[in-house]
Amino acid sequence: MEELKATGEHKQFIVIKLGEEQYGIDIKYIENIVRMQHITRVPKVDSYLRGVINLRGEVIPVMSIRIKMGLEPDQETKSSRIIILKLGMNGLIGIIVDEVKEVVTLESDQIEKIAYDSKDDKDSFLWGVGKCAGGLISLLDLNSVVLENL
Amino acid sequence: MDVSQYLEIFLDETDEHLQNLNTQILLLEQEPDNMDTINEIFRAAHSLKGMAGTMGYKRMQTLTHDMENVFSEVRNGNIKVKAEMIDVLFQCLDALDEYNANIRESADEGTNDNEPLIKQLNDIMNDGKEGKEEAAPEAAPAPEQQAASTGGKKWLEIKLGDSERTVLKEAVKQGKNVYGLTVVIQETCILKAARAFLVFKAIEEDGEIIVSDPPTQEIEDEKFGFDFSLIVISGSSLEQVIAAASNISEIQEVTGDVLDPDHEAPEAVQDVTEKAAEEPAEEPAAMAPVSAPAAPPSTNKKAEEKKPAANKPVVNRTVRVDIEKLDTLMNLVSELIIAKNSLVSASAVSGTSSTAVNEQIEYLESVTTSLHESVMKVRMVPIESTVSKFPRMVRDLQKKLGKKMELYMTGEETELDRTVVDEIGDPLMHLLRNSADHGLESAEVRKERGKPEVGSIFLDAYQDGNNVVIEVRDDGNGIDTQAVRNKAIERGVITPEQAENMSEKDSIELLFNAGFSTAKVVSDVSGRGVGLDVVKSKIEALSGEVEVKSKLGEGSSWIIRLPLTLAIIQALMVDIGNEKYAISLGAIQTIEDIPPQDVKLVQAKEVIQLRDLVIPLIRLNEILDIESKKNPEENMVVVIVKKGDKLAGLVVDELIGQQEIVIKPLGKYVSKCKVISGATVLGDGEVALILDANTLI
Repeated sequence: MEELKATGEHKQFIVIKLGEEQYGIDIKYIENIVRMQHITRVPKVDSYLRGVINLRGEVIPVMSIRIKMGLEPDQETKSSRIIILKLGMNGLIGIIVDEVKEVVTLESDQIEKIAYDSKDDKDSFLWGVGKCAGGLISLLDLNSVVLENL
Repeated sequence: MDVSQYLEIFLDETDEHLQNLNTQILLLEQEPDNMDTINEIFRAAHSLKGMAGTMGYKRMQTLTHDMENVFSEVRNGNIKVKAEMIDVLFQCLDALDEYNANIRESADEGTNDNEPLIKQLNDIMNDGKEGKEEAAPEAAPAPEQQAASTGGKKWLEIKLGDSERTVLKEAVKQGKNVYGLTVVIQETCILKAARAFLVFKAIEEDGEIIVSDPPTQEIEDEKFGFDFSLIVISGSSLEQVIAAASNISEIQEVTGDVLDPDHEAPEAVQDVTEKAAEEPAEEPAAMAPVSAPAAPPSTNKKAEEKKPAANKPVVNRTVRVDIEKLDTLMNLVSELIIAKNSLVSASAVSGTSSTAVNEQIEYLESVTTSLHESVMKVRMVPIESTVSKFPRMVRDLQKKLGKKMELYMTGEETELDRTVVDEIGDPLMHLLRNSADHGLESAEVRKERGKPEVGSIFLDAYQDGNNVVIEVRDDGNGIDTQAVRNKAIERGVITPEQAENMSEKDSIELLFNAGFSTAKVVSDVSGRGVGLDVVKSKIEALSGEVEVKSKLGEGSSWIIRLPLTLAIIQALMVDIGNEKYAISLGAIQTIEDIPPQDVKLVQAKEVIQLRDLVIPLIRLNEILDIESKKNPEENMVVVIVKKGDKLAGLVVDELIGQQEIVIKPLGKYVSKCKVISGATVLGDGEVALILDANTLI
């Protein structure tokens, strides 16, 4: 985020929907987007971990960010997708989203960062808000969504 | 020349040489007069020195050089092997080991000069009879020279161009010497180009290389046999030049003479030389006639050229392969097996299973199974590489603890997966130390008890079905379970009431508790309370198990069972609720059909009685939070699993069948679930979890 300011470069985000709200995920973390498929439940793990799926021979855990963020549990529909993320050394993990909308490019001046002191519980999963033609996009802080409690 | 590309080989070889030295010095301690052993030690030390020199590790080189000097004197009969000397030598090996470890980590040998050791070595030298003032390295190649002398005066075959001839003549005019040299490298040498490079460097310290045959570029690319010839201008005497070149290790022979710049290479020979130079690639052993070495050198120069190749020992026909490449291969085999499983289930579902398809699938199955076995075998190495350091360790322990003991090992050739062999060293070392420190009594006590004064520790390895068993046994005191219980109460691990009802077996289990040590005195050998719990967790991490058998006063034995392979296993697929789980076939004892009324309650826990054994029941659907879809009135399917000699009955809904499965890790995110040891991808692409019978019991 720092380098954004310095160079004034733009960043690409994939816009997803959870309920009515739009969220943006930095495209550099996204490994793949797959359709909803059978998830094998893993017993005795945190409720937000839905289980594991098979992605071309690899076994990948899948989590519900709705549950993790304290929203209503997922309702699987035709437009539900699993976004496979690659975060640092922890390997791949999938997150379930209601819908994948589009890819947007945001200039650094279109992003308003959320200051630390204004964080309440829900906002702590976000690092900023993007403004574009399609409306406001909450930019997900994947580290706190996925890695927290690990 | 950049030597970093040789670092891997250097490290591997240093390990081998050090291990060899350890073994041989141990032998030497027992048979101080065995010339074979001394020669072997000398050779190993010499190669080590040379390798360290090549790679530019000066400290390592200095230390080995001094060690080599001592061995040289021993070999010449000037020094007798003494106990103190052996001790110093072992310390040197430890120091070398340290260098090696440093290099492995940072490609740098570190800064420890080990001066005290070098001084001790020199003292040994001086204490010995005043030996001939003969530099050891020069003595080194001498006996080998006689063994195989092929070189001849090949430098005579070098054809000189006019310009070179002028240079040589000019040099003679200036009072310098012109020499022809032929350097023969040992056939066992791996870093031929590096050796040649060193020879070049040594000669160029006081001279200049005018011509080399084959040309320098080819030598650097290792495109030569085992010898090369040079024409050199030098200010030093011929002896000095030859000595400088032969000082480099793995150089078998250096011959040379003063060269007359006007000399003309004999035409006949020349042709052959050129021809030979053209076809270095065609030199593999198979091509040369077996009788080549016997052929008189004068009749056929070509045969002579090929001799080194023909002499190459057959055992050298191996390829060093990066373990990562093997991992990739193993992964691909895993994928293939999954694909095969998919094919099997696809053909079953589609219902088009004609005989022809089935036959082909069966054929494919047998091919994938053999492929899997072969890849597994490639990854297998004898445990020897790990256990061969133990005799040395036991010897050190003996001195440290002041007890007499002897280690007997069998089954060093037993093979295990490379990764397992690397990991198993530490746990075994702990167990051996434990036996030496806690198990064996002191010589006096042993005498009183009517045992032989020298205690025995046994390390036996053997294959048992799909497992490899490694047993560490001693004839010491055995485990005093009362002492263990008292200690456990003292440490607050159990209450006195619990202790009273504890069986012998459970008491022994206490030893594996973290922070538990029964040694009355904390020694630096064992007894720091880290050890047995680490041993256990390490072995369990390798999907193995430890079992202890002990008889007070007679000794104890620690039995480690390890699976042959980690990646692909035979498993029983079961159905619970609507979920599929895999249970490793290795853990399964039997499968029983039990009527619900046969379930009894003992201490509020469900058990069944089976052939005089009371076996606790584990209802998997409760443990895994699944709703069983089975009618409780029906007979239960119970899978009896075994851990050590404990049994348990796992209640499942239905059996699906046996299947070869590929274990996939679940990853960090879902590591909280202890009863699941991994996952596998089934033929239909679905993921099934693998139940860990060990943690269930």
